[in-house]
Amino acid sequence: MDTELLSDTFVDLADTMVADFDVIDFLHLLTDRSVALLAASAAGVVLADPRGELRVAAASSEEAGLLELFQLQNDQGPCLECFRTGRPVTATDLAGPAQRWPRFAEAAARSGFRSVEALPMRLRGQVIGALNLFGAQPGPLEAADLRIGQALADVATIGLLHERNVRRREAVAEQLQTALNSRVVIEQAKGKLAERLGIDMDRAFNMLRDYARNSNQRLTDVARAFVAGASAEFPPRSRHQPPR
Amino acid sequence: MTDSRAMVVWGQVAAHAAAHGRRVSVADVCAVAVGSAQLSGGWLAAARGGGPDFVICVTDSVAEQLAELQLMLGEGPCLDVLASAAPVLAADLGDEEFSGRWPAFIPAARRLGAGAVFVFPLIVGAIRAGVMGLYHGSPGPLPAGQLGDLLILADTATVMLLDGAHGDADGEDAAGLDGQAPDLALHRAEIDQATGMLAMQLGVPAGAAFARLRAYAYSQDRRLADVAGDIVARRLRLHRDSGPDDGP
Repeated sequence: MDTELLSDTFVDLADTMVADFDVIDFLHLLTDRSVALLAASAAGVVLADPRGELRVAAASSEEAGLLELFQLQNDQGPCLECFRTGRPVTATDLAGPAQRWPRFAEAAARSGFRSVEALPMRLRGQVIGALNLFGAQPGPLEAADLRIGQALADVATIGLLHERNVRRREAVAEQLQTALNSRVVIEQAKGKLAERLGIDMDRAFNMLRDYARNSNQRLTDVARAFVAGASAEFPPRSRHQPPR
Repeated sequence: MTDSRAMVVWGQVAAHAAAHGRRVSVADVCAVAVGSAQLSGGWLAAARGGGPDFVICVTDSVAEQLAELQLMLGEGPCLDVLASAAPVLAADLGDEEFSGRWPAFIPAARRLGAGAVFVFPLIVGAIRAGVMGLYHGSPGPLPAGQLGDLLILADTATVMLLDGAHGDADGEDAAGLDGQAPDLALHRAEIDQATGMLAMQLGVPAGAAFARLRAYAYSQDRRLADVAGDIVARRLRLHRDSGPDDGP
């Protein structure tokens, strides 16, 4: 484990949580750092919607195949099991013969993933989601990495709560809905921007995120203003783009 | 899993409308929400402008007064939920957190006879349709497991308002559903992406784009998620007039 990267991650996450941050942007940072710290190929934060669905809140890549892997787990997979049991769930070889979750394993293997880990996001005995890690090689995470992974899942939980006063039980449910709706706003903005500039969804997301950071605004606010047609400044005009 | 739960909820809404001899409307959604969560009453307001200022239905006079009170004061959970895109689950209006947030609304609401208030934004991402408010005469949390059903009911009311606002029928009634369950597969990334793409392609607000997407899926008897997938993959493009178009 790269201890300098670990310290930097700790500092960055703490810095972000002190300021008025955007929860989806925060969770994206966390998934990016999870990949780097744990030598994973991909990571995602999946939240449990009380409507009865697991929904991806953030992932280390916006690539459709990866996002579909999270969506698939509504029927079977490590996240569903993790959510139900409240315990870490591991599969060390998704290409092997006898699979616990055959459809999921097949889709994951097609995307180049051989191992998977789901670490529970827990608060007061309630499982609100999972940090889902994918590896390109078969085999489990090492014990030290597993501890860091669970710590990152716990940080994701804390970040999700934002400044909310958790004295009230209902505060968690309220904040969860904010996060889930933020995700929808961002997807709407990705679609609109991708169409406007003729770029793919991944690039559209990065443009939104970069603009939010550079203009010191929250990602969801930038996305919402853009979708609502209330943003005169985004996307910034470039010489190569004719005004529309 | 979600689909069958949504179907059960829709069944209750359709049954309520049938029992009253009328077409399904948001009033039925509101009534089912109140009944299934064992609350005292509720109201629904549409956001015609920016705020939830157009009260569409109420179950009783206390609900009506709670709705109007917030509009009059310019303060209260109905306004907050649209700003924050999060529900307010105020299980005890006596909690100091709420008198801090709504110093004028809280004492007035309690005088009207409300002990708890649960307000849901009727939204899809950046699209704001309105709010649904529910109250109980005494404080206490929602019954265990009820929140999911209430969120599904809120989604139902949202699509009914959006379909109605942008369709041919009047504002209250979901155009052309004829008692069929609305496609509530709302929570797929492609549906949201397709909404954004359509808004750009058609040059319309996101709410109109969303309604157009749903209307097309319904007219083609296809699942919303599948139509959205085709739009995102650029296998399908919709045009400004109402005729469906296939091909790139």
